[in-house]
Amino acid sequence: MAMRSIASRLALWVLVGATLVVVAGGALLFRLVSQEILEHAHRESGALANDVGNRIQARLDKITDTAQMLAALVGPRPDDAQPLIHDAMQHNPDLAGLAAAYIPQSKAARASGQSPFVSRLDDGSLISRDLLQDPSPYWNRSWFRTGLTCVDGCWQPSFVSQSRHLRLVNYSSAIMVGGQAVGVVNADVTLEWLQGVLKGLNKPPGMEAFVIDQQGTYLANDDPGRIGRQAAPTLLDALEHGDIAPVRLTSRTEKPMWVYHAPIQGTHWQFGLAVPETRIYAGVRRAFLGALGVGALALLILAILMFAITRRIMKPLGVLTERAEQVARGALEFALPAVRQRDEIGRLTHAFDRMRRELAEHLAELTRTAREQQRLASELEIAHQIQTALLPGAHYLDARCSNFELHAVLLPARSVGGDLYSYFMLDDRRFYIMVGDVSDKGIPAALFMARAITLAKALAPRARSPERLLQLLNQELCRNNDGCMFVSLLCALLDTVSGNLVMASAGHEPPVLWGNDAPRLLEFDTGAALGLDEEATYPVQRLQLRPGETLLMYTDGITEAMDSALQMYGQERMLACLAGQEEAGDADPASLLVADVERFAAGHGQADDITVLALRWHHAGPERSASMLNLTITASIENVFDTLGRCDNALRSAGIESGVREDVRLVLEELMVNMVQHGYREPHDGKITLHLTMAEDAILIELHHDGQPFDPLQSPEPALSGDIADYEQEGGFGIHLVRVMASDFNYTHDGQGNHLQLRFIYPQRPEQDHDIQPAH
Amino acid sequence: MTFGEFDEVATPMLHGMAEESTVVLDLSSLEYISSAGLRSIAKIRKSMRTRHGHTLLLNPQPQVRKVFDIVKAVPLNEVFSSVAELDDYLDRIQRKIVDGTDDDD
Repeated sequence: MAMRSIASRLALWVLVGATLVVVAGGALLFRLVSQEILEHAHRESGALANDVGNRIQARLDKITDTAQMLAALVGPRPDDAQPLIHDAMQHNPDLAGLAAAYIPQSKAARASGQSPFVSRLDDGSLISRDLLQDPSPYWNRSWFRTGLTCVDGCWQPSFVSQSRHLRLVNYSSAIMVGGQAVGVVNADVTLEWLQGVLKGLNKPPGMEAFVIDQQGTYLANDDPGRIGRQAAPTLLDALEHGDIAPVRLTSRTEKPMWVYHAPIQGTHWQFGLAVPETRIYAGVRRAFLGALGVGALALLILAILMFAITRRIMKPLGVLTERAEQVARGALEFALPAVRQRDEIGRLTHAFDRMRRELAEHLAELTRTAREQQRLASELEIAHQIQTALLPGAHYLDARCSNFELHAVLLPARSVGGDLYSYFMLDDRRFYIMVGDVSDKGIPAALFMARAITLAKALAPRARSPERLLQLLNQELCRNNDGCMFVSLLCALLDTVSGNLVMASAGHEPPVLWGNDAPRLLEFDTGAALGLDEEATYPVQRLQLRPGETLLMYTDGITEAMDSALQMYGQERMLACLAGQEEAGDADPASLLVADVERFAAGHGQADDITVLALRWHHAGPERSASMLNLTITASIENVFDTLGRCDNALRSAGIESGVREDVRLVLEELMVNMVQHGYREPHDGKITLHLTMAEDAILIELHHDGQPFDPLQSPEPALSGDIADYEQEGGFGIHLVRVMASDFNYTHDGQGNHLQLRFIYPQRPEQDHDIQPAH
Repeated sequence: MTFGEFDEVATPMLHGMAEESTVVLDLSSLEYISSAGLRSIAKIRKSMRTRHGHTLLLNPQPQVRKVFDIVKAVPLNEVFSSVAELDDYLDRIQRKIVDGTDDDD
């Protein structure tokens, strides 16, 4: 947890680092200072040792002087020995006893008569005795013997006096008479004062003071138990080296010690100060530890401060983090903490704010664009649906007549395209099929396609033949065609009874015919594509379909489809595919061809709209109804009325009721009279042909007349004022009656003349035997 | 009778009509009329109009009536379905005239 925050990490590492630095520095300093301290201690203690040595020496000198003087005095005057000794004792409290010991039986002994010995009692009083009287002889003792040799005086090893229960050390000085030692002045020196000197020293704690005699026995020691004992050999070794420098003692059992020593002049004694090494450094160490402690506390405070300050500085980062999380969630509206400083965090905050604002704008932009695209996509989808609705279904099988069957497939390259196909019954008998291809692709082509397909259907009834339809369609499309778009169109009109096909093409691909023979292209002359040349005309091609034959219309999306090697599908492959469809039987040839093309172009994708329309002719059908009347007359009024009568008779025998018959008669009269009276510019023996056919619910009449072109539908309608007397031009009524009375009226004109087709629908067809009206 | 024949008979008769006279065409026997026939009737009506007269049509047959309807040949008040209707109408007119002249006195 603590490691997660920059502040705590920083504080911790600063703490660690500072601590390390402080400790390292402290250790280094400690080492240096320790050196100094040691030197200092050496100097101090050395000086002290010297000083004490001198003092002891000074005090001892008094004794040695006294003894020597006494020896010198007593030699010539042995009788004075005892009082002298007595006085000396009194003046020198350090003396525990003083003796002048003569060699027994010597001259001096005899002269003195005694070996006086004065000693001090515990209470301080003096008593004297005669050593010669002692039960144990002294003259064999080592002290005496040694003493005899000490001409200049010498110190004897210490000993413990049994009688006085004291440790003493004696100083002997030989009494010389005539250059011969006759006795020894022996001073017994107590050592307590020595102990007292030690005690009174102002020495550092832990330091032990001692005095060692020439044998290495402790004469005095801070530890009284050690007095009289032998000092450690190492110590003696060290002291023996003689020089005054302090000595470092190490032993396996004890810590290292420093020993400062000073010889006590005049003796072979040494005064020493021993201190454990650690004691020397004790003070420094304490000081340093104290400093460390303070330092540690300071660092801790520093760390805490640092932590607090860093946290404060970093606080905006916490806010930024939170805001970043908000951004991730998508909320871009928020306020950032106020920036007081221009440091990194301040800059970060600024940058973050800018980023937030620009992100918000960017998102809004993206949302707008996405919505726009969505709208476009949905509009394209709708356009696609609308366009699909413009096309008739993919399969057509006439409910009443199974003479033919139709399959169609249209695949736009994009959602909407410029290809079209259409088919519809023009009238009871004739069936239009057409396939077209608008220049270009996409939306402009789709709009033009919609216009073309709608116009074609609207103009077809008026046009009455494929070539005329193309002409009319062309004229319409040339209007308002600034975009110079054009459409190629192949158009065929099928007689559903006979299987006769009339075709015209406006710059479109030649259709394919196959069935009994191998598939072959029907190449024929075409006119220009629609929309380019207002005056274009279109050659006609006629074809008779035999049973089992199929006519296939297509657009160049089939033949120009490309594979990944940029090779075109081409006409050969198409013909081969159709030839191979023999096995397919009744399957839809259009779908099979399209599937083959799609397989071919799979690597490259679809580049252009694809359309295929396949018309399969099964067999000719029986005439749906027999022709009732079929005659040709010379155009004269007489013949006209004759024809009218025959027509009426035929209808009557078919059981048509009088009302319908009258309508038919009136219409035919008007038309035929017109033909006779106005059909020719010059006197002419014109011919009028009439076909009368019955359908299930209508009478179909065809009138053919070889006169000049006259389209009754083009005549203006009369203004019916309600009184025929008002009307000036008399001929208008007839045509008006025709238009009203005929259910269906169609006009065409071609090289053979005018062709009128009329249809009279009647509600039901009565029985042949009924309603026979009296002849009119 | 064809329209031609009718015209031949009608034209001289028209010439003999007095001013403000009325022609009544009895169509009971006419079973069929075409535009030619319409023209003939139109001629009569025009002629009578110039004379400030009236042309009344009596009892047209179904086909004729249909044709009249389609072309709106005559105003409906000038077509009568029966003789009785016609007589009533004529009486009313006569009464009007008589009353009118009486008022003038």
